[in-house]
Amino acid sequence: MKRECASVLPLVLMAVSLPALAASVGQPAPNFTATDSNGKAYTLAAYHGRFVVLEWHNQGCPYTQKHYDSGNMERLQKEWTQKGVVWFTVISSAPGTQGYVTAAQENDYLHKMNAAPTAALLDPTGDLGHLYGAKTTPHMFIINPDGVLIYDGAIDDKPTTDAADISTARNYVSLALSEAMAGKPVSTSTSRPYGCSVKYAH
Amino acid sequence: MPVDPELQKPLGKLRNLLKLPRQPWPKQVRHDRSGLALLLACLAFSCVAVGDERSTSIPHGIVELVSAQETIQPGNALLLGLHFQLEKGWHIYWINPGDSGEPPRVEWRLPAGLRAGAIEWPAPSRLPVPPLMDYGYEGEVLLPVSVETASGLATGGEAALAADVKAIVCREVCIPAKAHLALSLPVRADRPHELGEMRAMFRAAQQALPKPAPASWRPSARDLGDHFELKLNTGHSASTAWFAPLEPLQIENAAAQKTVSTAAGMRLILQKSDQLSKPILHLRGVLVLSQGAFAIDAPVVPAKRVKEPRR
Repeated sequence: MKRECASVLPLVLMAVSLPALAASVGQPAPNFTATDSNGKAYTLAAYHGRFVVLEWHNQGCPYTQKHYDSGNMERLQKEWTQKGVVWFTVISSAPGTQGYVTAAQENDYLHKMNAAPTAALLDPTGDLGHLYGAKTTPHMFIINPDGVLIYDGAIDDKPTTDAADISTARNYVSLALSEAMAGKPVSTSTSRPYGCSVKYAH
Repeated sequence: MPVDPELQKPLGKLRNLLKLPRQPWPKQVRHDRSGLALLLACLAFSCVAVGDERSTSIPHGIVELVSAQETIQPGNALLLGLHFQLEKGWHIYWINPGDSGEPPRVEWRLPAGLRAGAIEWPAPSRLPVPPLMDYGYEGEVLLPVSVETASGLATGGEAALAADVKAIVCREVCIPAKAHLALSLPVRADRPHELGEMRAMFRAAQQALPKPAPASWRPSARDLGDHFELKLNTGHSASTAWFAPLEPLQIENAAAQKTVSTAAGMRLILQKSDQLSKPILHLRGVLVLSQGAFAIDAPVVPAKRVKEPRR
């Protein structure tokens, strides 16, 4: 699926410096409340005591499609939610941009893909995306049971759109969750997230 | 894999016409006259080698395998290039793509005795995607590649050169591109001639490569907590300088870069990436000034060795 924005967005050099981003590995993860595709509100603080994964998503992005069409992301969602992890898929595409979905469209997609996140959070204003400094789809974050951010980066170490690369990739999310659950330090706690830019409102 | 429907339509027709099997990725002849000529030639001579072409359409553009010279001389490096021509507004990426995207990759299929070097990356443009910043090339770019040739290479025949190229082509959205490109060049004992029509393009590409920074600039960087201060004794100030790092996760790509003039040259204030958790020993990248781009390798003085500035 590909949707192109007909309007040419003004590409203006950023003259102001970005505010310091709130989400940083080793620091408490910023709290948020967001509404999912079923209209239910989720607050991060309510999941104290559990691992939480945030997955930035855009169903039109070829990097997202690499991990969904291959079944990789759905498999990860099932595997880790079965182990008690809370998994939030977050959609920060602004209305009119690639990946923006209504609640009904998202529910259709989750059903069609047999996806299994705890919830798909709709963030058309981009507030949650900006709060975490989400750059790409996918961009993955992991929060530990103490509410501390323990991973910020790519889903794996093969920054391509080729599904064939998944089988030989090191999955940073599984690695970090496995290590943290075993009481070990996370060996790779940051990496360059790879993918399409998050389609924020301008 | 999503394929641009605009490109699939004429390709579908061409496939039906030639009874070609579906290609794993979009391949088609060019939409211009040479493409038409090739199509007619193919029809006339039952040519089926549509995939073996110097140029191939990719989503929103064309990529071509080009040679700077007419022939290959054993023992002398051969200069090739990947020439991308994209529609207005579309881009591909630099070796460090910045906050999103990925650089083009090439897998060479060359005869024995030929070995391709790495892509030589021209200085990129900054491609702002607020709140992100990418580095890449809009419109047209030639990515030169030098190929070593063995001195024992047999002369008199032709060398078949081929390249499998993968790239991601983006505007607001991104589309993966794959191309199989091929080119045959005669192997001759005598000194190769430059290909006249390619001369200007390869010269321009050479000009676009970052030059080594003069040793007198003595680039160095200080780690000052939340930012790096890159110092260069350029001998002159510059208000439009900007720096693109070779490595990801060193600086915040989208942050404004402040230039400070000094008696010896300039200092550039680069906000650290908030994903940078470990000290770095070198800040490597490209400094773009009004007079051109320069490759910079600045040793980084660790934060603890830096004295607090006097207030």
